[in-house]
Amino acid sequence: MAEQTTTPNSTIKKGPFRKIRAEIDHFNTLTGKDRQRYITDMLFNNAMYIIIVLAIIFIAIRVPSFVSLSSIVNIISLTASRLPIALGVAGCIVLAGTDISAGRAVGLAACIAGSLLTTANKIFPGMGVQPLPLVILIVIAVGALIGFVNGFCMAKFKLHPYIVTLSTQLILYGTILLYLKMGENNGQTLSSLSEGYRNLVAGTLFTIGTVAVPRYVLYAIILAAIMWVIWNKTTLGKNMFAVGSNEEAANVSGVNVMRTIILVFVMAGIMYSITGFFEGARIASINGNTGFNYEADAIAACVIGGVSFVGGIGKISGIITGVLLLQIIFTGLNFLSVDQNILYIIKGLVILVACAIDMRKYLVRK
Amino acid sequence: MPEEHRPEQPELRGLYRHVKISVRTLDIIIVAGIAAMVLLVLWSASGGGYAVRFDARGGSDVPAQSVRYGEAVAEPAPPERNGYSFGGWFADEAYSIPWDFQSNRVEGDTTLYAYWIPD
Repeated sequence: MAEQTTTPNSTIKKGPFRKIRAEIDHFNTLTGKDRQRYITDMLFNNAMYIIIVLAIIFIAIRVPSFVSLSSIVNIISLTASRLPIALGVAGCIVLAGTDISAGRAVGLAACIAGSLLTTANKIFPGMGVQPLPLVILIVIAVGALIGFVNGFCMAKFKLHPYIVTLSTQLILYGTILLYLKMGENNGQTLSSLSEGYRNLVAGTLFTIGTVAVPRYVLYAIILAAIMWVIWNKTTLGKNMFAVGSNEEAANVSGVNVMRTIILVFVMAGIMYSITGFFEGARIASINGNTGFNYEADAIAACVIGGVSFVGGIGKISGIITGVLLLQIIFTGLNFLSVDQNILYIIKGLVILVACAIDMRKYLVRK
Repeated sequence: MPEEHRPEQPELRGLYRHVKISVRTLDIIIVAGIAAMVLLVLWSASGGGYAVRFDARGGSDVPAQSVRYGEAVAEPAPPERNGYSFGGWFADEAYSIPWDFQSNRVEGDTTLYAYWIPD
């Protein structure tokens, strides 16, 4: 609606401020009550961003080391490590679905990678460190399989995504625990990961001053670029948005709905397994709890970043922003020594508020 | 539900399908949710910090400490256990990450595990 009211002058303007100028021009055409309503909508729609910016300022004043170089690099690294899972689950949300098995899929991938790339193998006694490309392929195959099962059940039987992925979540958890009990491991934490594995993922990409930036930051950027191309430049991407915004209409216009849903979930599964592969090397000790609740963070990040549960709405740039903002806020709360148990309550509230804002945007826009 | 002021309210789609909620209710949820978050953070941030627990693993009891983020843990007196000598504190149950009281900093609730060497 902003575009209709822009003056010829402002349409010539290019660059990142074009939208803001258009908004200001639109605002100038409003009067009285409309103006008040415009401001209220603006405040509510951006409530999450406003509160996060205020929180960052508050934390930076109280604990100045929050904005130190090492802290900023740490935030960026953690964002990179959580980005792939968010990129995966975002596809499911665009389809007007969701995936709560994501965190356990991450855990299983980490366990498999850890068990095949350890120098002291207790799960498969006597087996040495396996070649990295082989392990990456195995992990990706497992992720793809999980995604396929989820996607197939949803697409074929029209089951609600929560039901399907809740059951996969539990099945995966049991599998992880049983897997960790195999051989002589007896459920112990997997550690002593091979040097090659740790280096490939968590090795130093480059250093800023004395602070090392790990390699997985680069990988996360590459993955985001790949996902951007898939979402914006391929038929699968276009079909995904079509199915997400209106499944029947997509079907009528010749989109293979079942294939689209399965492929999006397979893609998501692959992203989870890559996250697990990174997480294993990043934290260097893998147990049954690895990946626990990661899907909650990823889903919250997506909703904050504007990937709507309405379906058919979302951008890669929004997902990156969402993951980054969520990471900043939770690292910041850590600096304030906020009780970790309270963080769960805050995460719950973040999702509730983000969804309320999401619904509000949809209701008011119409 | 006072919905007369927005009679054109559309049906929500996707995962919000069947949700019946007015913009006014949503506004209340947003404001209340944010207020709850702010209060929780302020209340928790004014506390003593993170709990550092010492799991003596069969040895004599070592009291827990409260340590704020980024600060070091004060090294407690070594615990005692019959038939064993104390081998230091570790950050994990598998005794693979020793805890250095000089350089290690607290980044969250922490449990340290006592390592025992049989005599």
